Formats: sequence, C-alpha cells, structure tokens
Amino acid sequence: MSKIEKALKRAGDERGNLQLVPAAAAGGRAAPWTALLGQQIEYPETTSRMAGNEGKLLSADELWERGIIHPEHTDEPAVQVFRELRTKIVQQNQGQNAVILVASVSKGNGGSFIARNLGAAFAFDSAKTALLVDCNLGNPSVHRLLPDASLPGLAHYFENPEMDVSKIIHPVGIERFRAITTGGLREAPAEYFVSMKMRRLIDSLRERYRERFIFLDGPPMSDIADARILSELSDYVLVVARHGRTTNAQIESGLNAISNKKLLGIVFNDEPRIPWIR
Amino acid sequence: MQIYPEQIAHALINESFHSRRLFVGMFVIVNVAMLAAGLLWPKSYVASTSIIVDDKSIIEPLMKGAAVPTEMADRNRNAREVILGGRVMNQIFERGGWLTDRATALEREALIEQIKARTTITPVGKDVIKIDYRDSDQERTLLVTKAFAELYIQEMVAEKESETRSAFDFIDKQAQEYQQKLIATEEELRQLRSSNLDARPGSDIELSARLIALNTRIENTTLELREAEMKRASLERQVNGEAEVTVLATREGQFRARIADLQAKLDTLRLTFYDTHPDVVQLKNQIQDLRAEASAQRERREKAKPSERMEPDETVVNNPVYQQLRRELSQNQLSIDALKARIAEAQRLLQEEVNRGKSLHSGDARLVELTRDDQINREIYQDLLRRRERARVSVSMDSDRQGSNFKILEPARSSPSPNAPRFWQFVLGGVVLGVLIPLGLLFARLQFDPRVRLANAISERHKVPVAAIVPHLWSPGELTGLRKELTILALIVTATLTLSATLSVGRLVGVL
Repeated sequence: MSKIEKALKRAGDERGNLQLVPAAAAGGRAAPWTALLGQQIEYPETTSRMAGNEGKLLSADELWERGIIHPEHTDEPAVQVFRELRTKIVQQNQGQNAVILVASVSKGNGGSFIARNLGAAFAFDSAKTALLVDCNLGNPSVHRLLPDASLPGLAHYFENPEMDVSKIIHPVGIERFRAITTGGLREAPAEYFVSMKMRRLIDSLRERYRERFIFLDGPPMSDIADARILSELSDYVLVVARHGRTTNAQIESGLNAISNKKLLGIVFNDEPRIPWIR
Repeated sequence: MQIYPEQIAHALINESFHSRRLFVGMFVIVNVAMLAAGLLWPKSYVASTSIIVDDKSIIEPLMKGAAVPTEMADRNRNAREVILGGRVMNQIFERGGWLTDRATALEREALIEQIKARTTITPVGKDVIKIDYRDSDQERTLLVTKAFAELYIQEMVAEKESETRSAFDFIDKQAQEYQQKLIATEEELRQLRSSNLDARPGSDIELSARLIALNTRIENTTLELREAEMKRASLERQVNGEAEVTVLATREGQFRARIADLQAKLDTLRLTFYDTHPDVVQLKNQIQDLRAEASAQRERREKAKPSERMEPDETVVNNPVYQQLRRELSQNQLSIDALKARIAEAQRLLQEEVNRGKSLHSGDARLVELTRDDQINREIYQDLLRRRERARVSVSMDSDRQGSNFKILEPARSSPSPNAPRFWQFVLGGVVLGVLIPLGLLFARLQFDPRVRLANAISERHKVPVAAIVPHLWSPGELTGLRKELTILALIVTATLTLSATLSVGRLVGVL
C-alpha cells in the first residue's frame, strides 16, 4: 500500500464517512501523466471522493459574478491566460504538485484574485485539485468564497492542537477546489507561520493528495517578513504587480525578499481591456 | 526601454479606456473652453491704408538750387512718432468715439495704450508707410484708420510748413542782422575817411612811390653835388696851380732872361775884356744876384705850394687860362649851391612825406579792418539775401503743397469679415484638442509615471520573466455598470458635440 493510500485511508477513517470508489468508476478521468507515475488507481478515488463532497456547485455565471473564471467563459481572455499559467507551472514542476505562494507586490495588487483564479484554472483539470490557503492575514478574502464565513480556518487549527486538518478545508462551490480561511486569525502572523505547525500543515496538505496544488494567498510583499517565511514554505512564488499601481521600486524590493530560484515570475494583473473586443 | 509604436498605440487605447472618465471629462472641458473662447473671442476687424510720401515732385528739378524741399530725415521712425504721438492720438480718441465724460485720465491713458497696441505702422519700401489698425467694431476700424492717414498727412504738412517757415524766418533775421552790421561798418568807414583824407584805398602805395621818387632824387642830386664839388676842387687846384706857375714862371723867366741877357753881354765882354774888367765883374755880380734872386724865388715857390693860396698877381690875373678857370670855378660854385638847395628841398619833402606816411599808417590798420569787415559782411549779406529768396520760394512751395507730396496711396479699407479665428475653427479645434490633449496626457503618464503600466517594462527592468499578463476580468455586474457608464459618457460627449453644433449653427445664422 502506498503512502498516499495510507494517508487516504487514514483520512477516510478520521472522517468516518469515506467511501472508497472503485477505480473503474472514474476510469477515463485520470490525467495522462498520472498513468506515467503508475498511481492511476488512487487518484480517481480521491477526486471522486472530493467530487462527492463539493457541496452546492456554483454556476459559471455565479462564478463570473464573484470574479472567478470558469471553463465555459470561452470569450474571456483571462481564462486562457490562467490556463497558460497553469501549464507553465505544471511543466516547471514536471507534473508534481506544488505549493505556490501568490503574493502582491503591495496591497491592492490583486494577489488574492490571481491565487483564486489560478486555483480555479487548476481545478478545470479533472485530474488535479486545488487548495487555496488564505495567508493574507492583514486582508483576508478567501472566507468570502465560503457560504458561511464563520467556518473554522487557520486560527482554529493553530489554537486547537487536536484539530484535524480536514476540519478546516472547505469546499467553495467549485469542483476540485477547496479553501482554508484564516478563521479570523488576527495576531502577529509571523509567529504562526514560523511555527512547526504551519510547516507540518503545509507538508501534510501537500503530501495528502498528490494531485492537489496548494496556493497560498500571501500577504503583500511590502510585509517582508511574512512574505519571506511563506516563500520558504512554498515551492514557487508568483509575484503579482497590478497595472498602474506598483512602482518599479516596489517590485524591486519585493523581488529582493524572495529567493530567485523559487520565483516563477511576475504576474502583471489587471491590464486594461475593453470588453466585447478580443 | 524599447517600446514599439504599435505597443504605444495599443497601450494608449487601453489606457484611454481605462481612464475613460478622465478622458471624457477633459474632452468636455476642452470643448467647453474652446466654445467659450470662440464666443468670447473679440471680433477683430483690420483696416489698412498706405500713404506715399513723394519727395521727387515735378517742381524739384525746376527749382533745383533755388529752393530746398524740406528733407524728412528718417521718415519711417518719424511716422511712428507722429502717428502714435499725443496730438494725433487725442484726435483719434475723439473721432473714434471713445471720448466720454466719465472716462478718467487713467482710463483714457489705458485706452490710448490699447489703441497704440492695435496699430501697426510698417514701412513699405522707401516712400510708402502702411498703417494697420485692428478693432472689434468694423465701422470704427475704418474710421480710425482713415483718421490716422488724414491726421498723419496733416501733421506732416504742418510740420514741413513750420519747418520751412522757421528756416525762412531765421534766414531773414540773419539777413537783417547783417544789413545792420553792414550799415554800421560803412558809416564808420565813411567817418574815418572824412577825418583822414589821405586814408583812402591805395594811398599807401602812392606814398611809397613818392617816397621812393624823393629818395631817388636826393640820391641823384647828391651824386651831382659830389661831382660838382669834385669839379670845384679840381678847378681850384688848377686855378691855384696856374697862378703859381704863371707867377713863378714869370719871375724866374724874367730872372733867367736877364741872366741870359747879362751872360750874353758878359760873354761878349769877355771876348774883349778880362774877367777883371769892371764891366765884367759888374756883370758877374749882377748875374750872381739874379741867380740868387731866382733861387730865392724858386724856394719861395717850393714853400708856397702846400699853402695853395697865393695872391694872384696881375700877371696871373691877366693869364687867359687862369681867367677861364676862374669863370668855370664860379659857374661850378653856382651849380653846387643850386644842387645843395635841391637836396635840402628834396629832404624836406621826404620828411614831409614820411610824416604824412606815419599819420596814414596809424589810420590804416583800422581802415584795413573796417574795409575787410565791410567786404565780408557784404558778401554774407548778399548770400543771405539770395538764400532768403530761396527760402521764400520754398515757403510758397510748401503753402502751395508743391514740395514733398503726401498722398494716400491706398485708401483705408476694412476686411469684410472679422480677422479672427472663425467659430467653427474653435469648434473643430475643441473636438480635435479634446481628443489630443487627453491622449497626450495619457502618453505622458505612460512615459513618466513611475507606476508600471507596461508588462514588458517589468521584464526588461528587473530581468524577471513575466509569467502572465492577466487582463481585467469584467464581471457581469461590472459590465452592467460599464454599460451604464459608457452610455452616460456617450451622452455627455453627444451633449457636448450637440452644444458645439448648436452654437455653430447659431453663429452661422447670426443669432449669436
């Protein structure tokens, strides 16, 4: 039994309601690269399991209204852009899942928007799942995706050592997309992020499902300490700079805070576009 | 940073859309500003006139040398000073209808300054002056321009006349002054001459001629006198010599004759008698005595020579040569006396002449001075008289307007339509600028705003790849809002354009 399988089993046991779906039931949905890894049996199980726990799914229009892309929005150039970004990341990591920190250069650059939509883009792919972790304690936004903002999040997890990770992972109404909110975490964030618990959380999240890509919705890079800690926890970093908002100096100092090895690149956000014109 | 034109265009379009409210706002502001400018822009009419100043009139060659047409030096500068000068300006002020009772001196000054600023004086070539005047009232523009031309000509003619007149007056005054001087000099000269009759032109020459003649006569007479005196001396010598010779020759001869006679007798006696014969002895004694007598006589003559005075005795007087000499001598003495008298007379005359010359010279310096003054004054006076006549002709030339001619070459003419940008130009300019100014500002913002607006600027600057350029995601709600916004903006633009169009039509029809 593989490590993943064990983990799945454990998770299922923890929840007590886990139904392992036979691999055949979801046979055709495996991504090609999973076959290469020889783990095709487990993944459909997990994805199917997740599928069964999505809650109320949001329609394309509802998502659009919330500023989240959907594969049906074929006219939307942003959809294509996020897809391309997804492909780039997948290629970069050779198909392995990864922890990606998405951080704005400064406040209001739309880092959360990018993290959210990048997650959504990953969730387009039925062979991948996405988990969005709200690490932007100063200006949390992920809870808005949830039907109930008071659902437990990071705060509860940190304050409650016995709490299981699965209790804080919530569906957001998008297939294969989960989110962890801050849970009203308001204290000095660095203390939490530095803690072993955070590292353990990230590791466990990463290890739990191999097809799961984890996106940390990070704080602005002007908050250098947090950005640096989170970048150390993550595999890749995407720096978000918004059109007409950030200066070159801000970008420069933001880039200095993180390791060049982890930097995937800069996402230039919110470029003006005239709708109805492609 | 390398930015390609199509990138700029693309970026500008996107930026314009992004800042659409600013864009439309500026469009409206620029349009309204231009409309306001168009409405408030003062209507400006321009009238121009040109004046030809013709110095080379027909009269000039005719009057050459006789009269001098007034020179108008540096006419162009002059024209400006005359036209914009106080006198003309005051009249312009009156004619233009600006003169109102309530205008204070300060307002009046300001208004005059404005009129001056609206007036342009351009020299065209050498003889033509062009006056341009700009004003908001068409009629007034024409009126003022006409007035400018008329007043300029009037001023110039008056100036010329007064110039010529003052020149004539000056020359006239000078002529009179010289006349007075001349009269005074002549009077003095006359008095000097009457007090000193000899003092007349050339008397000194005459005097010197006379002096020379007298001197010559004295010299000649002196020479003659000396000659006569020499002759007398010679005659006297001759007379004395002759007398002596005659006297001595006579006595010695007598002695020698008697001695010879006695010798002859002695010789004869000796033939017969001895020397001891008494007769012979007697004879010998006689001869001896005679010889002694004769030698005494000779000695006497020798002695008598230096004294040269000798009482002529009868024999001498009876000598014809002597007598002849005495006659000549006495004649000579006469002529010497006559010569002496002549020299004395000549010297007296000379002295007289010298004295006269002295008195003549003392008056002569003044005379010469007076004569010279008189001559110069006379010349100048005559010259002045000639000049005065010329000036008189010049004055009459000016009064008949025959000198330099001021003519209006081109009568004042006003442009039929205001010489300002047309209203439609403002409208069109507003539309064009309303687009160009925001575009320019956006471009400037793109170039100079430190905030990043172009993705490739980031990758070039920081040497970091741009992972993605995420265009704005228009949510349905945003799109609805955008539609509304765009509708409103379109309405605003349409309203602006309609306003422009309405005002243009109104302006065309003449309502505004």
